[in-house]
Amino acid sequence: MFLLNKLTSVPSYAVPIVAAVIVIILPQLGLSASNERQVILIGFLTLLVSGLNLSLGYAGELALGQPAIYATGAYVAAYMGAHGSTDIVLQIAAAIGAALIVGVLTGIPGLRLGSWSLAMTSFFLVLLIPDIVNIFPNATGGMAGAVGIGQATFFGALLTGYGFYLVCVLSVIAWLAFMRNVVTSRHGIALRVMRQSPVLASSLGISVFRTKLLAYALGAVPAGIAGALFANLDRYVSPETFSFALAISILAASILGGATSVYGAVVGAVIMQLGPSVSTSFQQDALIFYGILLIVGGVLLANGLSGLTTKAWKRLVQRPVPTTRQRLVATTDFHFSPLNGAKLSANGISKSFGGNAALEDVTITAEPGQVTALIGPNGSGKTTLLNMICGFYRTDAGSIDLDGVRLDQCKPHEIASLGLARTFQTPLIPEGITVFQVVLSGRYSPERISIASAALRLPKFWTVRSHDRQQVAEILEIVGLTALADVEAASLPLGTRRMLEIARALVSNPRVILLDESASGLDEGEVERLSVLIGRARDAGGTVILVEHNFRLVLSLADTIHVLAQGAIIASGTPADIEVNPRVLTEYLGVKDKDVGAAAVAIEADTKGSSL
Amino acid sequence: MMTLIWSALTIGAIYALVATGYNIVFTASGVFNFAHAQLMMLGVFIAYAGIVVLKLPIIAVFVMAGGIVFLAAALEERIAIRPVRMAEAQLVTTVGVATFINGAVQRIWGPNPLSVPFVGSNRLLTVFGGRVLPYEIAIIVVSIVVVFGLMVLSKRTMIGLAMLAVAENREAALLRGVNVRRLALGAFAFSGLLAGLLGPIIGPQTFAAAGLASAIALYGFVALAIGGFGSLPGGLIGGFVVGFAEEFTARYVNLNYPDIVVFVILLIVLLLKPDGLFGKPRERAV
Amino acid sequence: MTERIDNPIPLLEVKNLATGYGDIRVVWDVSLSVFTGKLTAVLGRNGAGKTTALRAIAGLNKVGKGSIVYKGSDVSHLPAHRRVGMGMALVQDGKRVFHRLTVQENLLLGGYTLGIGRRKMPEKLTRIYDIFPMLGDRQNVTVGQMSGGQQQMVAIGQALMAEPSLLMLDEPSGGLAPAIVDEVMGILVTLKATGMGVLLVEQQVEAAIDVADQVVVLDIGRVILDSPASELVDLDVLKEAYFGSAKLEGDASSEKHESA
Repeated sequence: MFLLNKLTSVPSYAVPIVAAVIVIILPQLGLSASNERQVILIGFLTLLVSGLNLSLGYAGELALGQPAIYATGAYVAAYMGAHGSTDIVLQIAAAIGAALIVGVLTGIPGLRLGSWSLAMTSFFLVLLIPDIVNIFPNATGGMAGAVGIGQATFFGALLTGYGFYLVCVLSVIAWLAFMRNVVTSRHGIALRVMRQSPVLASSLGISVFRTKLLAYALGAVPAGIAGALFANLDRYVSPETFSFALAISILAASILGGATSVYGAVVGAVIMQLGPSVSTSFQQDALIFYGILLIVGGVLLANGLSGLTTKAWKRLVQRPVPTTRQRLVATTDFHFSPLNGAKLSANGISKSFGGNAALEDVTITAEPGQVTALIGPNGSGKTTLLNMICGFYRTDAGSIDLDGVRLDQCKPHEIASLGLARTFQTPLIPEGITVFQVVLSGRYSPERISIASAALRLPKFWTVRSHDRQQVAEILEIVGLTALADVEAASLPLGTRRMLEIARALVSNPRVILLDESASGLDEGEVERLSVLIGRARDAGGTVILVEHNFRLVLSLADTIHVLAQGAIIASGTPADIEVNPRVLTEYLGVKDKDVGAAAVAIEADTKGSSL
Repeated sequence: MMTLIWSALTIGAIYALVATGYNIVFTASGVFNFAHAQLMMLGVFIAYAGIVVLKLPIIAVFVMAGGIVFLAAALEERIAIRPVRMAEAQLVTTVGVATFINGAVQRIWGPNPLSVPFVGSNRLLTVFGGRVLPYEIAIIVVSIVVVFGLMVLSKRTMIGLAMLAVAENREAALLRGVNVRRLALGAFAFSGLLAGLLGPIIGPQTFAAAGLASAIALYGFVALAIGGFGSLPGGLIGGFVVGFAEEFTARYVNLNYPDIVVFVILLIVLLLKPDGLFGKPRERAV
Repeated sequence: MTERIDNPIPLLEVKNLATGYGDIRVVWDVSLSVFTGKLTAVLGRNGAGKTTALRAIAGLNKVGKGSIVYKGSDVSHLPAHRRVGMGMALVQDGKRVFHRLTVQENLLLGGYTLGIGRRKMPEKLTRIYDIFPMLGDRQNVTVGQMSGGQQQMVAIGQALMAEPSLLMLDEPSGGLAPAIVDEVMGILVTLKATGMGVLLVEQQVEAAIDVADQVVVLDIGRVILDSPASELVDLDVLKEAYFGSAKLEGDASSEKHESA
């Protein structure tokens, strides 16, 4: 146990750094030339796999086109090398540029539809390599391959032997450091959120399409680098290198090493590079082996080998988790910093699906510093209205605006960025991230930071990070989850997850906070706590919209209630108005008109007798 | 000119048949079976083995090809689809199945294309002023018959209706007593049976070649994208569009360009008409 | 209570059912019975857990605790399609029929579990068209183009095609005009007379009580009243249970101040 504690206190980047130093000095330790070449090839494969990990493991999109991007980088460098531009830095820069262009142009249509569309378009790209090479025989050397590539130089100095080795190894190390920095920043969390729930991601202000494209495009960068280096390894490039078999072995390496990991790429690349050279019979049966590997890998190791080891490691070092019950002590001694609430109004909203009207001429407003409730039977259109406000559906007629800004033409992530935060009927808490990180994901839109600042750890990154930490800590304290900050969030009980969602919404300093059946499934104590939180958010000046089934919670909290039935507002008013409104009694409680008199008396008793 | 049209229709028909295979499985289970083209390739190789190596009677060849690929597809569903929930993991496992079949076929029959003789006559015919081989006509006719046959079956049989029901509302279908999981297995197995039976028919055109599957997988996908996911007639028309684009580019432009032209068509369709020409647009739900 | 003596073994017996969505528990403790030839109505305000309980009985939601016994055998963990095959049919709310298919195709799908070919279906269809003449006139109309009331008829007809012993309906009156509600309720009475057990979830209290033999009222996932319908004629008992169930805990306005 002592040893374990020692180990866990070592910073996470220590092991990779030691490994990197060893690889750098390997040739000095007497590595043979042929093994040196193997290390370089492992490095290239690592770059290719690492790029795929970004799109598959983090963004959740299968792209089979790495060989095509690799080829792009290689042919660009080969062309430059054969035409006098031998500087390796220039070649790498040009290769990255070309890789980005090819990656983005061919990625956009596939990414728009996702999943198999991207898999197929990117796979198609690999099939096109020989055709394109043949179309430009002068530049590419056609099927015979590109030759006459000049020896690479580094600021004028010829790169030979150890020098070239060093450039290759350092490129890989630099890329992995870059990738690690991106993945451990909030952008890494954003990617994980998006992968598990695009709806949640856009509700946090993350543009799903742009983020996917970014991950996919970033994934092209290492492939471009690898291509440029590859062209200079043998100073010969042939289209046969960039085959479908290569695409499959990259995928297999990614699955083997764990697609959602930074260093798993190295593990996978080592296995896939050295494995086939062990025996010739293996090479013959490589495809069969890869096939089985992908099937087993896909079925068993959703997270790859590295996922398994990470889990085992966590189990070994995890400290006992405090039970949630004892930790959810209600601190009533808190206040929110003032929220800059905004008036939200939906005017004359209509929407129909395939000829069936879901909403007809619905008008509601929600004022700052007030709780506005929306109630109505199942199928009355509450969820539809909610989806329109959040931008998931387009309105057929009518407008929605937030302090004068039209929302009905905006995309969900734009609406979130304008200050609308929400919770979900079924809490959306991505798997594999901690309570702290869940709340941190709510900080995505209020304070932006570019991927470049995060990857290069520029000063702005550190400033934003300290803001993030302070805000998250504050809100965790308020909802009483501080002690659970490092616990994996998805496995927590429902009540805790609901609180966590509210914390995530509040941490963005929202102008409007929209709670979708937050009380459902909670016990009395939890509902009580929820109602205190909602009350405080309102008192801080926030605009609170409550979509609820819990009639009593609504009556006790709301300033204004809108009642929806069959797609239309049948009543709006204060709780006092609503609880005696005959139409509400008919539609919502199912009591016919003739009994309204008696029922009104009864419901009076009901609201008085409310137990939360 | 007419000769060119005949050959465009022939290869278009093959792509349409691949798209049909994708559609059967997709409709019943919502899974995109990346390996369907490999299943068809397997059918062609078994046809080769049956006709050329074992010299079996033609009926036996059909039974063997249909039976083996039927089993292979059913096995794929049980091993690579059912245990996997996430769509992206299913993509990886179906790519795995495709790779495995590619490897196995290469291991058994080697990398060189093998010719599969046509079961009927090989006399060159002249139809509508174009020269055409009997097997080419057979492929075109079969593709049309298969697509229209499936369209009729899907409306006229209880299983077909159940598939349409599952595609529209899985839960409602379950409430009418449809065993949704068994239906998915059945759809896989049926797409395998079809792929196997087609082996002896398309073999003379495609040859039994290890690289066959990758090409028809992609072109079949383009046919599917043009026609719209889930649309049987769309897949047929999409197939012919791709066939024509490929043949005419090769004939009038350059042999290096057909793939690129088809790729560009794919990109344009995905960008401008992501639901295809016959697909129904869907509104995103939360 | 006399019917219990006549039919000592219930067709359906739900005991201490707890269920929900994932770990969101909506139904905490629900027990109820349905007897052959009788109608049990489940009432309760919105969000009381009526639909969720029904979904669990039909096999769409997992049973957390308790048991569901149908015709003497425990079906709590059988998949939904098997329960349909045993004669339990659910008509969902919101007219969840197949909108892209025609009336006839929808009905045919209803008979899926009969295991007979399409050739033998016409006589089964005729039986449904006798009950719903309106559907007979519109056999080849695509259901998506029909009105809500007509779709509701399709949904009930579809469930009846399976020749169920137990018919479960989730708010069949939802969104229908009063005249059509009366028609639907009338059909339920007819079906009851043929020996079918009916479990009816309703929002419209009077309409349901008019046709019910037994009434169960739910609130917050628990049974708060279980009484023969005959004892609810003047509705006072029901109102007492329906609206007066919650005990006083301070009045609503003061609560608001506390939380503010």
